[in-house]
Amino acid sequence: MTTCNECTNFFPIEDDSSQGDCVQRVVDPKQAYYKAKPVATDAEASKCDQFKKK
Amino acid sequence: MAMVAAKQKELKQHEKDQEWWWVAEKTRSNRLDYLRKAVWKKGAVGGAYNPGIKIDIERPLLFTEGWKENDRDPQMLRKAKALANVLEKKTIFITDQAQLVGYGGSLPHTLQWFIEGASIINEEVYNDAGSIPEPKEESLKVMAELNDYWGGQTSIDRLGRVLAPEDLVKFMSGVIGWGVPSSAYGYAGKDYEYILTGKRGFEDIIEEINNRLDEAEKKTSGNPGPDILPLYDKMLNWEAMQIILEACINHAKRYARLARIIAENFESDPKRKEELLRISETCMQVPAKPPRNLQESFQLGHFIQVFTRHEAHEGSMSCRPDYYHGPYYDKSVNIDKSLIKEEAHDLIGEFMIRTYEIGLFAPRWAREGIQGITGTWVWTMGGVNKDGSDACNDLTIAFMQAARLVRVSNPTFAFRWHPKVKDEVMRECFECIRHGLGYPSMRNDPILIKNAMYWHGHPIEEARTWVHQACMSPCPTTKHGFQPMRMASATANTAKMIEYALSNGFDRVVQMQMGPKTGDPRKFKDFEELFQAWVSQMEWLMNILVRTVNLGRVKDPELFGRPFLSAISERSVESGIDVVSPIGERGNCWVTFFTWVENVDSLAAVKKLVFDKKKYTMDELITALEAEWEGYEEMRLDFVKNAPKWGNDDDYVDDIMVRCLREVARHSHEIKCPSGNNWPALPENVSGNIHYSSLVGALPNGRRLGDALYDGGISPGPGLDKKGPTAVLKSCSKFDHVKDGRAFLLNQRLSPTQLAGEKGYKLWSAYMKTWADLGLDHVQFNMVDDKTLRAAQKDPEKYAELIVRVAGYSAHFVDISRKTQDNIIQRTIVGL
Repeated sequence: MTTCNECTNFFPIEDDSSQGDCVQRVVDPKQAYYKAKPVATDAEASKCDQFKKK
Repeated sequence: MAMVAAKQKELKQHEKDQEWWWVAEKTRSNRLDYLRKAVWKKGAVGGAYNPGIKIDIERPLLFTEGWKENDRDPQMLRKAKALANVLEKKTIFITDQAQLVGYGGSLPHTLQWFIEGASIINEEVYNDAGSIPEPKEESLKVMAELNDYWGGQTSIDRLGRVLAPEDLVKFMSGVIGWGVPSSAYGYAGKDYEYILTGKRGFEDIIEEINNRLDEAEKKTSGNPGPDILPLYDKMLNWEAMQIILEACINHAKRYARLARIIAENFESDPKRKEELLRISETCMQVPAKPPRNLQESFQLGHFIQVFTRHEAHEGSMSCRPDYYHGPYYDKSVNIDKSLIKEEAHDLIGEFMIRTYEIGLFAPRWAREGIQGITGTWVWTMGGVNKDGSDACNDLTIAFMQAARLVRVSNPTFAFRWHPKVKDEVMRECFECIRHGLGYPSMRNDPILIKNAMYWHGHPIEEARTWVHQACMSPCPTTKHGFQPMRMASATANTAKMIEYALSNGFDRVVQMQMGPKTGDPRKFKDFEELFQAWVSQMEWLMNILVRTVNLGRVKDPELFGRPFLSAISERSVESGIDVVSPIGERGNCWVTFFTWVENVDSLAAVKKLVFDKKKYTMDELITALEAEWEGYEEMRLDFVKNAPKWGNDDDYVDDIMVRCLREVARHSHEIKCPSGNNWPALPENVSGNIHYSSLVGALPNGRRLGDALYDGGISPGPGLDKKGPTAVLKSCSKFDHVKDGRAFLLNQRLSPTQLAGEKGYKLWSAYMKTWADLGLDHVQFNMVDDKTLRAAQKDPEKYAELIVRVAGYSAHFVDISRKTQDNIIQRTIVGL
């Protein structure tokens, strides 16, 4: 199973190995930004279209 | 060199042509230009959101998840846990070039949706087809499930079950007032003296709460007695406040972390890396601890607004940014010199842009009533310190300068003028007006301080702290003086007073008996009979709205709950009671009076043409009004042209205005808020004159059903002020701006040509002196000519940053409906 912690967008939380942030770059019609969403380290990632293996 | 010269020449030409929006674009820094253009505009245009704006489903989902998990907790604790779940798990973002962070929605183009507020609004959200996020089918499925869960459980659903049925039906008709009586949707003041004076951060408040909890726990483990019984609920409320404050601190740390991740992993520009690390440091400092510099102070101020808007749809932003952030500006720019002025302007401009980008889903009637913006963010500037000395500082000036660069319609400024304001500050105010921002509006500080003391008994030092609670009404920022819940539903469509006086209380538009039966108007024998009928309708309308709002207020802690607002309010942290409870608040209520001057002009018209000149009978007039003037055009024009109109220094009609206001003031002392304080009236309109145009029938001032109503407050009807601006001021000076009401909005439209240059400033200063000497409390200006406005109607893309003053707020001209645009163009340009 592919999990989030195998992705280049995944950044683990230093004092909680079970959690991390999924950080992605977005360019919309008005602005560019980085967004972050908390994810579990072992969350299922095989259906994620943003997944990029480390 | 040649390019620089060409740019200068271009700039000078724009200045000459008074195309201030181009001057701003070419003058502001690259960063401000980027951030200004990066904003997804959330204001509705003609009632509809712009393409690309989407509802944010994350908050309702995460809130509901947290709400369901804690179903055994009492209201405030359950709410705090649900909000903490949102703050912990929602998506956050940092925009390129930004130095301040924090947004209510999950992504820049999203609107916040407060699912626990009102089912009627939840249904509107579901049916707002253009705003449903992709994939639509999936989103609609999720939204339907959420709406099904919350149906019958929202704050307004539950309040509806305790309101008197007749009051509920009439209130919900939509013709007599607007807003909903819940703090889910309202205008909350803040206890800034507690949270923004640099004395404490959220960690300090948590410690205060811990101490109170310890004390309470000792008592509840000791001797039983009636005095310890209230402590059980208080301990749960204190726990709620702790939970939400910790959640807020952790939420800020999420931004700190993201900024660091971007700096270390994605950003290659060394300057931007440094900025990101500074953002990280800032968010580790605030809101946990007090700020140390201007960036941290602004970030704390912005976080307070973001967190409070995670909790409720706050439709106003009562704040005094130059006063509370001024010492940090002084520190960063003048003392430490860690910022040069241009860098400070970037921060100030961005601070305004972060407010401009706020997006809250509003029901259609609210979007039509407040067009082009998402809330009335009226920032209070200037004024005096608690000791009465001038409070204007370098940041006051810097805000005015930054405003001319970023040209956002919202926030707008309202300047507290007093006799000791320095000329350099007045010049900055004038430049903003001259640049066509429509702000600052000018407020007469000595008058309004006396007003706050007169109506609500605020001590003078507290009254001097006042900020605009919404568009117009003063509110202190102190422990017992600030008002945490002001519901827009204390807003009356007052043209109904005269309409019902002439229809025996029957509303022809909704075909319902709304007001009391005050007699068949065809049988009125003299003006006094009509006037007494009007007084009865006035009392009824004020009563029904205030009854509803009073009940909503006292039930709110049980039905909605404000753990975050409580946690940043001294009286709540001290008492352990939800801050929305009226306990401990002095009271600061008012009833907004939309569509007010129609009453006066209509009464004057009937008095003149029916009772004095006896040109028509009451029977003839009522017949014509019931036909909505159709087939009676000649008669209608007689009532338009040959009856005296307000704003022309004519005692015939001005005396009627005074008499009407004094009847209202009398009744304002008779009706009380839950704190036992008065309910004065405040005539102003936002764009209610357009929203209500199809809901108010024909009137004796010559208005037909469907015609726009007058534009606001005590402003004369468009084009009806024929005797010049001094006559308008003189009319407005005939009543007492302290005792005859809460405040009185006055729109004036000035000529940009006449007010060019130093001569223009001197003319305006002389006008302002007259205004102040006559004791008026408010005036606001549009300074843009008809040619520019018509050109903007034709080519809106070229005029994206053209701003107009609508009523108690400004909007970009291209963001308001055609009807509102035409109404503004109709306003008389006064020559000073």
